[in-house]
Amino acid sequence: MNRFVGMLLFFAGVVAGLIALSAGFYWVAGWLGWGFNALANAISGTPGVVSPGAISFGASVANIVTLLLVLVMTSGALLTTAERKWSAMMQNRIGANRIKVFGSALGGVPFLAADALKMLTKESVEPRGRTRLLYQLAPALAFAPVFALFAIVPVGMDLDPSQIPGLASRIASGVVQPIGLQIARLDAGLLYLFAISSLAVYGTSLAGWASNNKLALLGGVRASSQMISYEVSLGLSLVGSMIAYRSLQLNEIVVAQGQSVFGGIPAVGILLQPVGFLVFFASAFAETKRAPFDLPEGESEIVGYFIEYSGMKFGLMFLAEFVEVAVLSGILTAVFLGGWHPYLFEGWLQANLSPFWFAAVGAGAFIFKMTLMMWLQFTVRWLLPRFRFDQIQKLCWKILLPAALVNVFVTALVLLLDPSMQLLAVVGAVTIVAIAAITVAVGRAPAPEAGHGAAHVVAGH
Amino acid sequence: MTEGKGVGGIDTRATPGSAGAGLSAPQLGGPAAGPADGELEAPLRGKRMTVNLGPSHPATHGVTRLVVELDGENIEAMKIDIGYLHRGFEKSCENGTWTQVFPYTDRLNYVSSIMNNVGFALGVEKLCRLDIPDRAKYLRVITSEVHRICDHLTLVGAMGMELGAMTVFLYAIEARDLIYDRLAELVGARLTSNYARIGGVARDVPEGWIEKMTKTLDRTRDLVDEIDALLARNRIFIDRTRGTGKVSRELACELGFTGPCLRAAGEPYDIRKAAPYLVYDRLDFDIPVGSNGDNFDRYLMRIEEMRQSDKIIRQCFAQMEPGDIIVRDFRYALPPKPLVYGTIEGLMAHFKLVMEGIKVPAGEVYSYTEAANGELGFYIVSDGGGRPYKLGLRAPGWPMVAGLPYMLKGSLLADLIPTYDSINMIGGEVEQ
Repeated sequence: MNRFVGMLLFFAGVVAGLIALSAGFYWVAGWLGWGFNALANAISGTPGVVSPGAISFGASVANIVTLLLVLVMTSGALLTTAERKWSAMMQNRIGANRIKVFGSALGGVPFLAADALKMLTKESVEPRGRTRLLYQLAPALAFAPVFALFAIVPVGMDLDPSQIPGLASRIASGVVQPIGLQIARLDAGLLYLFAISSLAVYGTSLAGWASNNKLALLGGVRASSQMISYEVSLGLSLVGSMIAYRSLQLNEIVVAQGQSVFGGIPAVGILLQPVGFLVFFASAFAETKRAPFDLPEGESEIVGYFIEYSGMKFGLMFLAEFVEVAVLSGILTAVFLGGWHPYLFEGWLQANLSPFWFAAVGAGAFIFKMTLMMWLQFTVRWLLPRFRFDQIQKLCWKILLPAALVNVFVTALVLLLDPSMQLLAVVGAVTIVAIAAITVAVGRAPAPEAGHGAAHVVAGH
Repeated sequence: MTEGKGVGGIDTRATPGSAGAGLSAPQLGGPAAGPADGELEAPLRGKRMTVNLGPSHPATHGVTRLVVELDGENIEAMKIDIGYLHRGFEKSCENGTWTQVFPYTDRLNYVSSIMNNVGFALGVEKLCRLDIPDRAKYLRVITSEVHRICDHLTLVGAMGMELGAMTVFLYAIEARDLIYDRLAELVGARLTSNYARIGGVARDVPEGWIEKMTKTLDRTRDLVDEIDALLARNRIFIDRTRGTGKVSRELACELGFTGPCLRAAGEPYDIRKAAPYLVYDRLDFDIPVGSNGDNFDRYLMRIEEMRQSDKIIRQCFAQMEPGDIIVRDFRYALPPKPLVYGTIEGLMAHFKLVMEGIKVPAGEVYSYTEAANGELGFYIVSDGGGRPYKLGLRAPGWPMVAGLPYMLKGSLLADLIPTYDSINMIGGEVEQ
C-alpha cells in the first residue's frame, strides 16, 4: 500500500513538474517577447509602444531556446539514461547506479554527465583513406535534420501574451498576436516534415561511404535503402490525417482534434486513423534505425555505419537516434494523440483555471504523452529481435504501403459520405476492435508448427 | 566451380589446414547454376566484396575469423579460419599424469566443463576396466545434465541477443547464474568446474544442496518457458530462423554432425540412448527430434533438451542412494587423509598416485559420450605408465563448424548470425 501511495505521489510530482516546466516555457516566451519589444523601442527611440512584430519575434527566439535546447535536448539526453533504466526494469536488473551523488544514485541521471565527459575527452581516431570532408560532415548531417524536425511541433496552445504573469499591466489584451509553444508555424506543415526527415538519410549513408570501411559501407547502404523505403509509407500514413482534419498545419490538426464526435468522445487522431497510427509508428521506428529496425547498425553482424567514428563524432550519431525518438514521439502525439489537449476534465479545467495555467496544463499533457510514446518505443526496442534485410523491405512495400494506401482511400471515401467525421470515427472504432480481436486470436492460437513437427519427442530406440 | 577451389569456392590452398581444404566443391540445393542461358547474353558482373568478420567480432563469441565473399548481401563463398584459441590440448595432456589431464578438459567446452571431465574419466575407466560406485554415477549424470542446461541456456540466450533480443539473453544468464552458484557450492568453481575423478567424483553433495538445486531447477524451468514464449512465438524470430542455415539429414550425416544439430535434421541419434553409459538406461527421458534441420529446429531442440535434462536430474535425485562416491581402490583413488597420515600403506599409495600417477593398463580405447553439442570422443592410448601416451579428441563442435560453408552458401549475410549461433561453436573445444 505504501508503495502504491508512493507511486501515486511520484506520478503527481512528475505531472506537477511538467506543468510547472510548461508554465516556465510560456513565461520565458512572453517576457523575452517583451524584452525584444523594449529593445526595439530603445533602438528606434519610441518608448511605450507595443509592437506585435517584436513580441512574436522574441517569443520565437524563446521557443527555440526552450523547446529545442531544453525540451528536445534534455529529453534526448535523458533517454540515454532512460534506455538503461527501462531496459533494466524489463530484464530484472538494477541498471546504471554506480555514480553516486551524496550517496544517492539519483536514478542514474548523473550518467549523463559521465557519458558526455567520456565522449568529449576521448581520442578522435580517424581511418586512413577516408573522404575527409564527408567524413567530418556526416555526424552533423545526421544530427541537424532530426533536430530541425521539431520546429513545427506545437507543444502548447496559443496564449495571449497579456495573460502571462506580470505582463498584464504592460500589454493590453487582444493587441498582439497570441504566442504558442511552436517554433515555426509553417503553412506547409507536414510537407516540411517529409522534406526534412528525408534529409536524415544523408548523414548515415555518407558516414558509411566516407569512412573507407566495408562494414560501414554495408551499413550505409542498408540505412539508405531502409530509410528511403520507409519514407514512402511514413508520408502516406499521414495523408489520411491531412484529409480528415483538412490541414497541413500541425497546430490546426491539434485544434481540430479538440472537437467532439458523438457527444463527449473527442475526434482524436488514433480513433479516426488507427491504421495511419500503426503505419506511422512502424515507419517512424524504421526512421529512427532502432531495433527491430536497427539493420544499419546490426551490432552483431556489421557493427554499423558509424564503426569508424569515435569520440563525440560517434556521440553525435548516437544522440541523433535518441533525439529522433523524442521528435517522432512529439509528432506522433501531435497528429494522433490530440497534442496539447489534456482531454481528462478538459472542460472543467478550462472553466476554472486562468488561461495561462490552462495552457501550461495543456503543454504538460503534451510532454506527458510524448514521454509515454518514447517509453513505448523503448519497450518495443528491448523486446523484439532484429529483422533481416529482405524482410524489412517486404514489411514496407507489401504490408505497410498497401495498408497506408487503402487507408487514404477509405478515409477519403468516408469523409465524402459524411463530412462530419462521425462515420470516420465509427470506421476507426471498428478497425481498432478488429485489430484487437485479431491480435488476441493470434496470440491465443497454438504456435505455428506447419511442416515443422519440430521437437516432437521420440522415445528411445 | 573452378579447379583448385575448396569449400565455398575460396582457394583454401592459400591457408592450408582451413576448413574444407582439399575437398571438392559441395553440391548444394540441386544442380549448380550453369552459365548464362543465351550465348549472346552479356550480364554485367558485379564486383564481389570480401568481408572479414573477426577474429574479434561480436558475432564470433570467442575468436574465429570468417572470410565472407559477398555479392551485395548474399554470401557467395565463405572460409573459416580457426586456431586463435589453439592451446595444444592433446600434446599438453601427454605431459601430465592422468589426473592432471582433468583441468585441461575443463577448458574444452568451457560452458559445460563437467561433461568433458566425465567423458575423459569414462575413457580412462574403460581402459582400466573399472566400475565406479552407483552414487558417483548418479552424481556424474546430475552434474552433466546441469551443465547441459547451462550450455543450452547460453546458446539460446546468445542467439536471442545476436538477433537483437537482448532481454532474452539476460533471462538466460539469470538462470545460468543460479546454476553456477549451485555448482560453485558443489565443486568450488563457477566456470571451469572440475568434478569427475578417475573412479568416481571429487566430492559428495553438501547438506541441503539437493533442495536448493530443485528450487534452482524450478526457477530455470520458469525462465526457459518465458524465453520460449518470447522467441518461439515471435514472428520476427521465426522469420529469421526458419528455413535459414538449412542442412538436410543426408548432408548432416555425411558431414559428421552429432548432437542437437543432427537431431534437428531428423536423425534420432543420441548416445545416451544408442549406447547408454553411466545410469542413463535407468532413467526415463525422451530425445527431441526435428525435421527441417534449420536454425529454428536447432533452437527447438535446445529448449526441449533443457526440459528433458530437468526431468533427468529430478529422477536422479529420487533414485540416488547414499554410498561411496569413489572407488575404494587406492591404485586409482587417493586414500582418505587419516589413512595417509596414520598408515604406511596409505602414505605410499598417496605418494605413488601424486608422484607417478595412476598406472593405466597399456592399450588403446575410444570412449564417447553425449556432450551438449554432440559426440565427445576421447581416443586414449596408454603404455602402462602414469601418463597418457597419446590422447586424441573428437570435438563435438568441429564438424558443425566445418559444415558452415555448406549451410550458408547463397544465403544473406544476416543469416550467418543465427546459423553460427545455433551450431554453438565453442572455441575451446574446436580449436583444442
